[in-house]
Amino acid sequence: MTVMIDSMSLAEVAEAERFERTGMEAGPRAASLAREAFADWLERYFDLDPIRSADLVLAVNEALANAAEFAYLRAEHPGTMDVRADYDADSKRLVVRVCDHGAWRTPVSNANNPARGRGIPLMRALSDRADIEISSGGTQVSLAWHAVTQR
Amino acid sequence: MDEQSGVAPHSASTPPEATTCVVTQHRVDQVIVVSVSGVVDMLTAPQLETSITAALAEKPAGVVVDFTDVEFLASVGMGVLVAAHDEAGDAIRFSVVADGPATSRPLKLIGIADILPVFPTLDEALTAQRA
Repeated sequence: MTVMIDSMSLAEVAEAERFERTGMEAGPRAASLAREAFADWLERYFDLDPIRSADLVLAVNEALANAAEFAYLRAEHPGTMDVRADYDADSKRLVVRVCDHGAWRTPVSNANNPARGRGIPLMRALSDRADIEISSGGTQVSLAWHAVTQR
Repeated sequence: MDEQSGVAPHSASTPPEATTCVVTQHRVDQVIVVSVSGVVDMLTAPQLETSITAALAEKPAGVVVDFTDVEFLASVGMGVLVAAHDEAGDAIRFSVVADGPATSRPLKLIGIADILPVFPTLDEALTAQRA
């Protein structure tokens, strides 16, 4: 039995460059579990200082929370959401995409619930780039960070 | 109910879940300290909200929410703080203890630290409450 000690196997290399959870039932529990799995993946493969690490996890959480909370307000059944992170070792760029397949509800400042509407400002403040694409098929939030180094 | 225990078994029967949050309260003179540990996210923010609402209902001189042992704070938890601060109004001094990349940093980044007082330690928060 051959054991690779010093170098990562091909499967591990692939795992180090991609994190993916697809077809999750949109909701708080799935958002929470996906956030923790993403945080574990970051911790395992990347060399991040505590601030950057916290920033990434919170930004991704907010994208997941938006999908979980807003995407299916008018839908009869909870839909699904996906999260996928891709790391490009050449550009040292980490891109995380969170997709849902529901109708976007424009977050408004709601006097009754001050929790509303902070997710997007947070995502913008915590990432190097945040893009939100809204289409009839759903919403994709794309968050990018530069100069991310692997362990 | 026949029996009443003076201590709420907060964490005794908590099922094994990825997300855990423990909220406890204690009094320091006229101030109620709401101590939170673990994760504050969409799943656990209602626990925090319930505890703060109960603390405010007692009409103490002040309420301090201590996030010293919070390892993750989502925007939903920040919203709970802002709502509690509004509810406290002028009658109850409301402040927060937070220090670190997971708590005080995002509170500052989106301006919540400008709306309500945030202190790095419980001692400093309690000193300010007495001032």
